[in-house]
Amino acid sequence: MRIDSTHWPWLIGTLTALSVLTASFIVYVALSHGHARGGSLPGLAYGAAGYGLILYAAFLGVRKKLPVWRIGKAQTWMRGHLWMGFLSLPLILFHCAFTWKGPLASLLMILLFITVGSGLIGAALQHYIPGLMTRSVPMETIYEEIPHLRRQLCAEADELAAGINSSGSNEGALQIEIDPEARVHFANVYKRTIRPGLSSDTGKHKKADPEHLRSAFDSLRRLLPASAYPILADIENICEEERQLQRQRRIYFWLHGWLLVHVPLSIALLVLGAIHAVMALRY
Amino acid sequence: MVSLTIDGMPVTVAAGTTLFDAARTLGIRIPVLCHQQNERPVGVCRVCCVDTGERTLAAACTRPAGNGMVVETDSDRTKSARRTLVELLMADHPTPCARQRQSHDCELEVLAEAENISEIRYPKRGSPRGKDDSSFVIQVDYEACILCDRCVRGCNEIRHNDVLGRMGKGYSTGIAFDLNSPMGNSSCVSCGECMVSCPTGALTNKTVVGTVLTGEPVETGFLLGLPYFEEISGTFLNLNRNAVVLRKFQTGEVICREGEYGSTAFYIIKGKADVHITAPLAHVGKSGGATGFFSKLTSFLTKSPDGDGKSIPIDGPVDVAVSGPAATLGPGDLFGEMTCMSLYPRSATVRATEDCVMIEMLRNVLDIMLRNKTLRAQLDFNYRKRALEDHLRSVPLFASLGQDFIDHLRDRVELLRFNRNEVVCEQGDVADRFFLVRIGFVKVTERHPGGDLVLAYLGRGGYFGEIGLLGGGVRTATVAALDHVELVSIHAEDFHRMLELFPDIRRNLQAVAEDRARQNLSHIATSASVPLNDFLSQGLMEANSLLLLDLDKCTRCDACVRACADAHDGVTRLIREGLRYQNYLVATSCRQCRDPLCMVGCPVGSIRRRTTLEVVIEDWCIGCGLCAENCPYGNINMHPFQVIQEGIDAAGLPLRPVITQKATTCDLCADHAEPSCVYACPHDAAHRVDPNEFFGNLPVHRTSAHRTSAR
Repeated sequence: MRIDSTHWPWLIGTLTALSVLTASFIVYVALSHGHARGGSLPGLAYGAAGYGLILYAAFLGVRKKLPVWRIGKAQTWMRGHLWMGFLSLPLILFHCAFTWKGPLASLLMILLFITVGSGLIGAALQHYIPGLMTRSVPMETIYEEIPHLRRQLCAEADELAAGINSSGSNEGALQIEIDPEARVHFANVYKRTIRPGLSSDTGKHKKADPEHLRSAFDSLRRLLPASAYPILADIENICEEERQLQRQRRIYFWLHGWLLVHVPLSIALLVLGAIHAVMALRY
Repeated sequence: MVSLTIDGMPVTVAAGTTLFDAARTLGIRIPVLCHQQNERPVGVCRVCCVDTGERTLAAACTRPAGNGMVVETDSDRTKSARRTLVELLMADHPTPCARQRQSHDCELEVLAEAENISEIRYPKRGSPRGKDDSSFVIQVDYEACILCDRCVRGCNEIRHNDVLGRMGKGYSTGIAFDLNSPMGNSSCVSCGECMVSCPTGALTNKTVVGTVLTGEPVETGFLLGLPYFEEISGTFLNLNRNAVVLRKFQTGEVICREGEYGSTAFYIIKGKADVHITAPLAHVGKSGGATGFFSKLTSFLTKSPDGDGKSIPIDGPVDVAVSGPAATLGPGDLFGEMTCMSLYPRSATVRATEDCVMIEMLRNVLDIMLRNKTLRAQLDFNYRKRALEDHLRSVPLFASLGQDFIDHLRDRVELLRFNRNEVVCEQGDVADRFFLVRIGFVKVTERHPGGDLVLAYLGRGGYFGEIGLLGGGVRTATVAALDHVELVSIHAEDFHRMLELFPDIRRNLQAVAEDRARQNLSHIATSASVPLNDFLSQGLMEANSLLLLDLDKCTRCDACVRACADAHDGVTRLIREGLRYQNYLVATSCRQCRDPLCMVGCPVGSIRRRTTLEVVIEDWCIGCGLCAENCPYGNINMHPFQVIQEGIDAAGLPLRPVITQKATTCDLCADHAEPSCVYACPHDAAHRVDPNEFFGNLPVHRTSAHRTSAR
């Protein structure tokens, strides 16, 4: 979600809440004479509020599963998730008074830091990356269709190349007069340079490098007759589209990859947090 | 009796015999183009010129034989003159013309070939004379006309139809139907006499290419013996022998199936047949493949929009009820008219309930048949008796009409037919009647200095003319037929009486008229404010509502697509791909166009626009896919649905589910305040906007729109 001026009310609300909570924590610490801990009444209150906010943030996932239910706009939930989720960190710190002992509490704090941290990174990525994707991938398509499209592009390029590779006497071949030697050279360049770049899974194949490809196409243009230029241009466009699809795949990974860390850790945090609460209250 | 010599041979003929006929008795063939044995000679082509020894050559077809006359038909002088004449005619004639292409017997071109004329010394005509494609039966190619007048004499003197005549003077002279009307709109009865008279390809028989009718061939004599064929020209029926066949169906046999494309109409001679809509009436939103507990719960809680109509319009003389979609047709009924005339998909399945005998025909025959006044009267009688009431009541505005008044209207309404592009009423005309669309589609346009503005398309159940009748008595828009159209016309006097008797109808009509007038004004204001740029060329300004995704905010999470699918039981109505405009993606989702072409042609009227703007597809969609084809933006999709059938098969087992297709389009989630896609977007990226308002406020308005990966 883009963090823009529409977030001002949330920012002000969060900062206000944080100020009030910080002030209350200072009072609480002062009154407790250095014995502030999670088991005290104020500590429990901070803990419950912090866990409540984490729970609320986690409900965004449930909200997304019910897109049609009129239970508040998804973007309101998302704003709440961002700001309330962030606010949960100081509340939990106030709950434990900035000290944690024991393996579960330590694990919980590590999880909380990583979860909030990954959330912040995610928010930053989702702020900048959509614009980057829009600008750098004008031929963007639906992500799930990329493998299918790439196969199509390869087949299309093969078909175009076959037009130059096959001799003019073959049925279906283009009627372009090409020197046999030039034809062989084209076949070699296509097979060794262009095609590997097209079928590279990562897009980082040396042959997929735009400079490398450009020089290959330039050499082909010098060699082949002008009547073959439109076919070369088509193949070059296919290479460009392929490159953009690879770029989209990479950007998409950064746009959503952080969720692979954020979501499982959030779930773990919720579960362990609940266990911590039960254990702490019971024992 | 007169005696003369032709080409050295003496001959005696009765006084008054023309040189042409006198030569014929000697076996001398004088070339001619404008003359036929069965027509009065007029001597306009002059190709039959002969040398009588006088200063000038004479036209043999008109010049009477004189006593002692010495005539040469093949002298150098006549040959030279004839050659020049043929060359001049050929200069004004496309080579080869339609007739020469089809049957190699264009008389002019055959003559030119005989005269060894391969190159024309004279320049071709500079200004084209055009073609007239308006008749279903005859193709008119004015370019090929040599003004021989054979068609004019055939029409007026042989058939006495008095439709054809000459128009214009000098170089712009031509033949014309009535007062230069398109042939299809003229009073032409398509007897075919002009066509058989024409020596060139100017008037040729239209055949329906690629259509082969299965069935028993019918002899012309047999057809002429049938009541509704007796007034049709035998010449025409002979020329169209393959366009009409006799079909026999056994009890239970399917005659035609809904959704199939066809090109024929059926006229029942004997037997009865039932009309069914077999597509399940369950709304697509309730028959999809929702999975998961929450989706199913959502589906259960979301109510289905109900159709307002009580009957489904079909391509036949009766409507079928929504509650029990079946009706019966019998002898004298004609069905498949829209399919035949406008090539729309079949609107219903027809199955023989008794052994049936029918005439199946292509549109050229149907067109002629419908000109038969006896048949028209029969069909109109059937309509008034069986369908008028349902038709009136299917229009929500008239649902409250009293039975007495419907009975009063039954004999007073006029049933009118219009061919494609024919104008029903013109802006500025006196408003003297109210119209209900019975068959076909009309286009409502308003004239403006910059051109015509399309205000609406109206199909079966649509009505127009109320603004003029309720307002100043003048038509405020022009209405023209988009295809073969039949209208029910209510005269102003009856219309006003209806409003007096039924005040609620008056109120409703006034509200509709005011609403339409307001919409028209807004439409005009919008069009005037639209800047001309690339954006316009994409048709976006024609949209009422666009689904835009702000690509700088959109994380491509597809929450919008999933929300749409969840709101419609697993079938999404939006695709996150389409045109890009600046940083906005115009998603592939219904734009609720101002000019909704998708509505034109629906054979069962299941796609319609609600008064609240959104285009909806009703439950009884038969899945023919015409709306999807008509949508220029690919925003209507056909989805397969598994439909569970009730009942058991012949083996006593429960019927298996069947897969049926239905059209789906965005309905703006009409049951909710906001479309689900927008509501579910967590990133504030999806917006439904009025494009004029939204893009008008954008700082830069020049970036060209382009499509994302088109592969």
